Amino acid sequence: MSEHQVDFAPAPSLNEPPEWLRLNGMMVIVSPLKEVVRAAIPLVAVFFAGGGAHSWGQWLSLAGVAVLIARGVTHWATARYRITDDQVELRSGLFNRKTRAVPRDRIRTVDITSEWQHRLFGLSALKIGTGRQDKGKDDELTLDAITRTEAERLRTVLLTKTSTAPSVVDSAPVAESELVRVDRRWTWYAPFTLSGIAVVAAAFGAAWHFANDLRIRPDDITILRDGLDLVGTESPWVLIPAAIVVLLLVATIASVLGYILSYWNFSVAREQNGTLHIRHGLLNTRSVSIEEARLRGVEVKETLPLRLVRGGRATAVVSGLRTGRGDERGGGLLLPAAPVAEAHLIAAKALREPVDPTTAALAPHPRAAQRRRLTRAVASVLALALIAWIGYQLDLLPFWVWLVFLVLTPFSAWLGHDRYRSLGHTLTHGYLVCRSGSLVRETVALRSDGVIGWRVHASYFQRRAGLVTLVATTAAGRGGYHVTDAGTSQALAFADEVVPDLVAQFLEPAT
Amino acid sequence: MRHGLLVDVSETTGVRLRAPRQRISRKAIPYWTVRALPGWLVLLVGEVLFKVLPADPPGAWLLIVIIVTAVLALVHLAVMPSWRYRVHRWEVTPTAVYTQSGWLDQEWRVAPLSRIQTVDTERGPWEQLFGLAKVTVTTASAAGPLHIHGLDLEVARGLVDELTAATEASKGDAT
Repeated sequence: MSEHQVDFAPAPSLNEPPEWLRLNGMMVIVSPLKEVVRAAIPLVAVFFAGGGAHSWGQWLSLAGVAVLIARGVTHWATARYRITDDQVELRSGLFNRKTRAVPRDRIRTVDITSEWQHRLFGLSALKIGTGRQDKGKDDELTLDAITRTEAERLRTVLLTKTSTAPSVVDSAPVAESELVRVDRRWTWYAPFTLSGIAVVAAAFGAAWHFANDLRIRPDDITILRDGLDLVGTESPWVLIPAAIVVLLLVATIASVLGYILSYWNFSVAREQNGTLHIRHGLLNTRSVSIEEARLRGVEVKETLPLRLVRGGRATAVVSGLRTGRGDERGGGLLLPAAPVAEAHLIAAKALREPVDPTTAALAPHPRAAQRRRLTRAVASVLALALIAWIGYQLDLLPFWVWLVFLVLTPFSAWLGHDRYRSLGHTLTHGYLVCRSGSLVRETVALRSDGVIGWRVHASYFQRRAGLVTLVATTAAGRGGYHVTDAGTSQALAFADEVVPDLVAQFLEPAT
Repeated sequence: MRHGLLVDVSETTGVRLRAPRQRISRKAIPYWTVRALPGWLVLLVGEVLFKVLPADPPGAWLLIVIIVTAVLALVHLAVMPSWRYRVHRWEVTPTAVYTQSGWLDQEWRVAPLSRIQTVDTERGPWEQLFGLAKVTVTTASAAGPLHIHGLDLEVARGLVDELTAATEASKGDAT
């Protein structure tokens, strides 16, 4: 991949008043390309599948694409950025001039993303995040796009905290030590993450929505209609298992492909300037740098299928990192689906602890919590069965639907029991550790000095059972971590143990 | 150093949270009643219109729905505001802010003064009508703001001044 440097200004010196720099000129090609590709499938469908009846819609969607392209080009033409000794500044906009400045000492994360359109021209988008959870998107600054070498250089400059900034301008690459690299064989953990099912559901939803927009009914498409007619003659006892097999097959393929695309060459490294550097991606590559001082803990997630094959994922709980989707939201992914021992290993390494605190033995929650989990699990399925039965009586649903819910009851009860078994909490080596969930079991270890407040929640039924849900609030990750259905005394004593001298003043002996 | 410690947690088998010391304004009871009213009215009027307007109105089940809605509304309006008034309390100590809120579901929130980032008062149209204000205390966590509803305006102003002074004294970025 060649490094185009079309109208690239000389590298800024931090000694002199820095010049305003432009984004890379190749963006004139890249940003329309991005928009066209993104709009391609709907456009093609509108023009060819839609027929002549929708010409109004065709012009509207073309106009939409044109507006997006114009916006991309305008952004390139008007955007100027510079890095002064104190802050990073970005000016942009044609009619609505915007200036955004981020103080350099507030920069906590640097995220470099190269979508494949960027990579064709050796470009990268660089996003700077600060540590404010309350400000959301307002506190981010994105340079889309600059050359990859410039992005790497800025990353080093912005993350190196020195009082004499100029010396770092022409610094060599920072020395780093690799903490983990994903083994290609771990790809076989991907089907156990449930992500494939989510992808299939999303794709189905999108197709449905799209067909709905174009007023295409499944009946209108000959192949689908023939297929449905054929399927419709089969009995549900054949149909349901067949549908499940097909769904699992498609979900497996989708999750393996997704894993390869997202986590190709996934690696986590520690750099000498105190940052964790996470890199991954096959077509679209991503590089996230997290200031280690902002690391507040780790989270290990195991879906139910992953637990069967002793797999797990690890996520960093970081203050000020709210970019990304799914797993990555609220924290940097430290390891995608992999052997759970590896997840614990990287968690321990990232925290600089000899052992991963999420492996600590947890104090179980009272029996009342088990009754609550079981009641909720069984009651919800029975309620669904009842609704399905009423639906059958009203001729809205076929006979077998309510039977399916009834058959699911033992599984649901087991799920409720497993949810209780997951519950637990402890304080170990200065980390609050709590666990919950069954379909997705989440174990969080949060540094106790990262806890910045408590919430104690008790519903009417929880109060009758003598239970509360204790929430440790923090500036990192999801903002609050739940110790679900702990005994009232147990939870309050725990809160006092984690943050001494805070809740004790509000306690009284129970009568 | 322990502040205002009532019980030593480690030596007691059973503890619970005590209620915060300060009550909110009594005017909160009519305020909550008035605020809950429009929602129920819209629902009831909609149901009645659906019963009256169509040429072929639905049968007896709609009448049952209307009666059930009316009973629920009356119970909610009669019980919720005074129940809330008994539950909603707040307290500021030298080290922390402490609130209790809710009625069926109840919640207690504690935030150390050293972690407070902003203190705001807010007055919606209904609150202005009753001379009330809501105080919101935020920390750096997205999950942890403390809300104190139904305060007398003067009390709210005094509280904001007190908390602002207390948080300005503490240093750091409170994360």
